[in-house]
Amino acid sequence: MNDAQTLAVEVAAVEQVTPLIKHFKLASADGGPLPAFSGGSHIIVVMRGAARMHRNPYSLLSSPRELDHYEIGVRRMEESRGGSHFMHDQVRVGSRLEIAHPVNLFALDKIARKHVLIAGGIGITPFLAQLEDLHDGAVPYELHYSVRSPEHAAFLTRLREREGEKVRMYYDSENQAVDFDGLLSKQPLGTHVYVCGPAGLINKVIATAKSCGWPDSHVHWEQFSAPPVGDAFDVFLSRSRLTVHVPHDQSLMESIEAAGVEVPYLCRGGVCGYCQTRVLELDGELKHYDHFLSDAEKAKGNSIMPCVSRARCKSLVLDL
Amino acid sequence: MLVTGIKSKPVYAPLRADLGGRYHLMLGMGPGADALLRVLAEIQGSALPALQKTRVLLVPDAGAPLMTVPFDHLGLGLVSLFPDTASLLDAFRLVLGESLMGTRLYVAGPESFIGLAMKIALEFDLNKDEIRAEEVGTPARRVYCIHCRATTENVRTNVVSCAGCARWLLVRDHYSRRLAAYMGVMVDAEAPGELPPIKEVYL
Repeated sequence: MNDAQTLAVEVAAVEQVTPLIKHFKLASADGGPLPAFSGGSHIIVVMRGAARMHRNPYSLLSSPRELDHYEIGVRRMEESRGGSHFMHDQVRVGSRLEIAHPVNLFALDKIARKHVLIAGGIGITPFLAQLEDLHDGAVPYELHYSVRSPEHAAFLTRLREREGEKVRMYYDSENQAVDFDGLLSKQPLGTHVYVCGPAGLINKVIATAKSCGWPDSHVHWEQFSAPPVGDAFDVFLSRSRLTVHVPHDQSLMESIEAAGVEVPYLCRGGVCGYCQTRVLELDGELKHYDHFLSDAEKAKGNSIMPCVSRARCKSLVLDL
Repeated sequence: MLVTGIKSKPVYAPLRADLGGRYHLMLGMGPGADALLRVLAEIQGSALPALQKTRVLLVPDAGAPLMTVPFDHLGLGLVSLFPDTASLLDAFRLVLGESLMGTRLYVAGPESFIGLAMKIALEFDLNKDEIRAEEVGTPARRVYCIHCRATTENVRTNVVSCAGCARWLLVRDHYSRRLAAYMGVMVDAEAPGELPPIKEVYL
C-alpha cells in the first residue's frame, strides 16, 4: 500500500458521541460510491498535519451494504502521538482526507455455528459492521459490550435499536464484568469468539478460551497497537543505500517513509504481517511490539515489523 | 495414468492425547480400539480430571464378544458399543449436537470410517486443530463416481466397476472431505473396453 492507491474523501458529518469518542462520516470526494467491504474491515486514514504525517487504522462501523459513505469512530488517546488529536481537533465537516482501501483482518468465520462477540470501549466499532451481516438470523450470536460507565457507551442507542436486548452491557462504574469462564465454558461446538478492545480484555479472553479447551482457530481478536515511543536510533537501508534517523516519538516505518522509501503495509498496527522486513545486521536489541511474529521468531531477531517495532541499538541494517 | 503427490490425500499420524481439551470424544472401529486405549492411558497418566469427560463410541472387531473390549478396567465414564458404522455415526451426530467447545475428537479405524466421521465433524465446524485421526485397518476406499455420483464402497483395486452406472473407474488419490470419498474417473472413455491391468492395490 502506498499513497498512490489512496481514495480522496470529504468529511460529511462529525459528532462527539462520548467524552472521548468522535464519530466521523466520510463520503467520496467525487460523490461516487466507495469500494465494497465486509464487516470487520478497517481503513487507514492519512492525515497531513503541520509537523508530520499520520496514518492510523480505524475500523469501519457503517453497514457494508451502504457504500455512499463510510463511518469510523475515533477515540482520543491520552498519550497520542498526534493522530487521534488531529482527528479530534483539526478535522471538521468539509475537511478533505485520504484513506486507503478497506482491508479485513477481522472477518467473521463463514461456517461458524454461533458467534460470541466481546467488545471493550472503542473496540465496539468493527462489530457494528459485522452485526449487519448477522441480522438474517441464520447463525445465532451474542454481543457483550463493556465500557467504563454509561456516558462512555458509544453507539449504544444505535445498537439497542438494531439488536434490542441482544446487547449485554457491562459498566466498570457499577462493578459489572463479563463472567468469561461462565461464558466460554458452555458454548456449543462450532462457536467462534471475537474480541476487540484494550489489551487486558483481549488477553483475558484468549487465556480463558485456552483454559476452557478452545482451539486457536476459534478465537479471533484485533487490536491495533499505536507505535510506542522509545529511544532514538539510526537504521541503514541496504538496498536504498540510505541512513535514516528514527526519533524517539516517530515509528520506524514513519521515519523510513519520511526519507522517501516505501514500505508495504496493510494495517500499520502490528497485526497483518505485511510490512515484515528482514534484519541483516544488528548491534543491540530489537523491541518487538507486534502481534504477528511468534515469540520464537521474535527471539531469533532476523525480522521486524517496522510499523510498531523499534530497536535499541548502535546499528541496524534492514533489507529495504 | 495416475497423478502422484495429490495434496488432498489425507495424512494420518499415531494418536496422541491433546491435553489442551476439556472433553475427549473418541470413535473407534475394530483394531482402532487399541489406539484409543493408548490415548486414554495418556489422559489418565496426565493427572488431569479430563478423564471424567471422556466418551468412547466403538464398533468392536467382528466376532469379538462385545463385553470383552478392555475399556472397563480404566474406570471410564461412558463407553458405548455399536454393531456397525452406521449406528455409531447416528449416535456420533447426536453427541456432537450436545457437545461443548473444548471438545477434542479422536478417530481410529479404517480410512473409510475416518472419512465418514470427519464428514459429520465438518458439519459441526470442527477444525483441524480439534480432530486427530489414526488409520488402523483396511485401506479399502470409498470411491465417488464423478459421472453418476454414486459411491462404491470397499474398493481394493486400482480400477473398479461403479456400483451405480457400471462404468470402469480409475481410482484417483484426489480426496473429497465433503464426500468422504476418492474420485473415480471413467478409465476407458477414449477407447471403450481398453482397460489397464486391474490390480489389488488397497490391501
